[in-house]
Amino acid sequence: MAERCAVIGVGQTKCASKRLDVSVAGLVREAALRALDDAGLTFADIDAVVIGKAPDMFEGVMMPELYLAPALGAVGKPMLRVHTAGSVGGSTALVAAHLVTAGIHQRVLTVAFEKQSDSDAMWALSVPQPFAAPLLAGAGGYFAPIIRAYMRRSGAPDHVGMKVAVKDRLHALKNPYAHLHLPDISMKVVEDSVVIWDPLHYLESCPSSDGAAAMVLGSEQAAAASQAATGRRPAWVHGMAMRSEPTMFAGRDQVNPQAGRDCAADVYRQAGVTKPRADFDCAEVYVPFSWYEPMWLENLGFCEEGQGWRLTDEGATSMDGGDIPWNCSGGVLSSNPIGASGMLRFLEVALQVRGEAGEHQVDGVRRALGQAYGGGSQFFAMWVLGTEKP
Amino acid sequence: MTRFVESTITFPYKRSLGPLVGAFMTALTERRILGVRHGDQVLVPPMEWDPATGAELAHDLVEVGPAGTVESWTWVPSPSAQHPLRHAFAFALIRLDGATTPLLHAVDAGSPSSLDVGTRVAPRWRGSRVGRIDDIVCFVPGEAPEVEGEDAGPAEEPVTRMDYLASITYTNPVPPATDRAVAATLERRLVGLGCPHCGRVYAGGRGHCPIDAVELGPDCEVELPQTGTVTNFSIVTPVQYPGQTETEPFVRAFVLLDGTDVVLPYSPVVDLPADQVRVGQRVEAVWAASADEGEQGGMGGAWGALAGWRPTGEPDVDDPDLVNRIF
Repeated sequence: MAERCAVIGVGQTKCASKRLDVSVAGLVREAALRALDDAGLTFADIDAVVIGKAPDMFEGVMMPELYLAPALGAVGKPMLRVHTAGSVGGSTALVAAHLVTAGIHQRVLTVAFEKQSDSDAMWALSVPQPFAAPLLAGAGGYFAPIIRAYMRRSGAPDHVGMKVAVKDRLHALKNPYAHLHLPDISMKVVEDSVVIWDPLHYLESCPSSDGAAAMVLGSEQAAAASQAATGRRPAWVHGMAMRSEPTMFAGRDQVNPQAGRDCAADVYRQAGVTKPRADFDCAEVYVPFSWYEPMWLENLGFCEEGQGWRLTDEGATSMDGGDIPWNCSGGVLSSNPIGASGMLRFLEVALQVRGEAGEHQVDGVRRALGQAYGGGSQFFAMWVLGTEKP
Repeated sequence: MTRFVESTITFPYKRSLGPLVGAFMTALTERRILGVRHGDQVLVPPMEWDPATGAELAHDLVEVGPAGTVESWTWVPSPSAQHPLRHAFAFALIRLDGATTPLLHAVDAGSPSSLDVGTRVAPRWRGSRVGRIDDIVCFVPGEAPEVEGEDAGPAEEPVTRMDYLASITYTNPVPPATDRAVAATLERRLVGLGCPHCGRVYAGGRGHCPIDAVELGPDCEVELPQTGTVTNFSIVTPVQYPGQTETEPFVRAFVLLDGTDVVLPYSPVVDLPADQVRVGQRVEAVWAASADEGEQGGMGGAWGALAGWRPTGEPDVDDPDLVNRIF
């Protein structure tokens, strides 16, 4: 990295199944204005805007960035859109950060959103295409066989997925912005919910949400100015990485994808992380279906391959006494505005590092990992943030 | 000659409008047009923010028009099905009386000679209005608004969402490899394409290797067996949405073809209830009479006349690595 970069402002909307009171632009502005306010800035202070969302089918507005430019104060400034399916919120933040580390801009606003209530996610992810057998399965139907493979390969007991479903919903109760607040969540409640994509129960799956996330990324100079104005400290970027691989090829390991392992190795090298479980104080990782927690624990090197479920089962990833809390915000299992879900992971890491996470704050966070994945586990985006200047 | 096929994607979106566009649409059902004050400007349609700076505006709504002046226009001599009028018309930028910004709409002017910059126009309202911009059918020359047909009156509730039936038809070139794969299924043959570099074999008419990024031509074609083993599966509980054809939980199986490295992912099954599918189950191909999806049970697309896979009744294969073969 040539120039230092820090998160100097964060903003998010309350996630909900239907935000009927706002347009797409209104939703996006809500998050953006909160991020600007958090940084002590206005649109006039912003040099460029980088926006991301999942495929246009979700709202049926083709190239929404064109219509959103005036709503985001981007008139007369560079505005970019990033596309990487479900990981897009993460890769959007990284593209914005690159504009700062490259020394091109001082302050970049980055925004991601989804307004799922405008259509239907299962339809939007299974749009009929010529020459392709109709899938009609949605994301859960796509990932369920991969989860089955993980369960058999690792010998994990069946209850581990349900444990993640309960743990993340308990975390969500501490996060006022989370979509699902299920105070009565328990193993029994999850087990009693319908098996929607065998072996996944309904409550082991993410909700469909409307929501947006935004951050202001700034240079060293911009970070100092914001801190002086607001009293809130910056979260410094210690490493950034993205990787991708083809969706389908014979012999591809979908359970533990190479692109995810390579991405983690790259971002750890930049940040000087050698023992992720010990070196991080918490992590926000894209877990849309419960079993992706133990799978990503392994993919991200928090344990040996085949051992991820043991960490989950022992409570290592719980805020309630765990040594490496994962998804203190409630995670994707509690809020899933798809295009924004990756950015929410990145943003929640910033909140933790800045000590601004409120009730779901982990004590004394010095360094934390944000991860997002998308497509058929083929796009990965990660960053490491820390309290110290890198 | 490259062959082309058409495919249409349709979905009834429901868009939430937000406070100002919602008020604008509600007013349209009352045959009123609203703008928003911004300093000494009046923006039509109203916006929640200053389009130049993004600054939030006070939501100070004001009625404009209904008549206005054409500022610029273009003639549409041959309207398509998606245009607002069936006969030749103009798209015009119309500055409504009291507004400082022009509104884009259609003008039913008869001929281009009856339209000019400065022409005065007024709205022709739809009789039955729902709170959409086409509650105004178009504008017509003159000062007097019209109503088309019987006036059904304003909306009973404030308009907060807009229905938008999106439909787009694509014309896709058919890859030659797909045509060859489909043709083979009509002869009840399964063909694959072997990559000369990595040796992987791909079924389903994909004419390239995603690892080596090379085209796989007819010379790469290999005959594939029609029996295999279920490596994994998905039981999908269908969510109902417009266009969904499934109502009950259904199986999609991953089938590893015998003696090959080829997995056919997400394959339909025949005579196999959702609660009886297993990893390791032996299956054979089931053929339809034609490649037409829906008509004869064929899977359509590049799978052609392959209808799916049926249990053979042979003993299951016991191999702990099978489940990992998703692709």
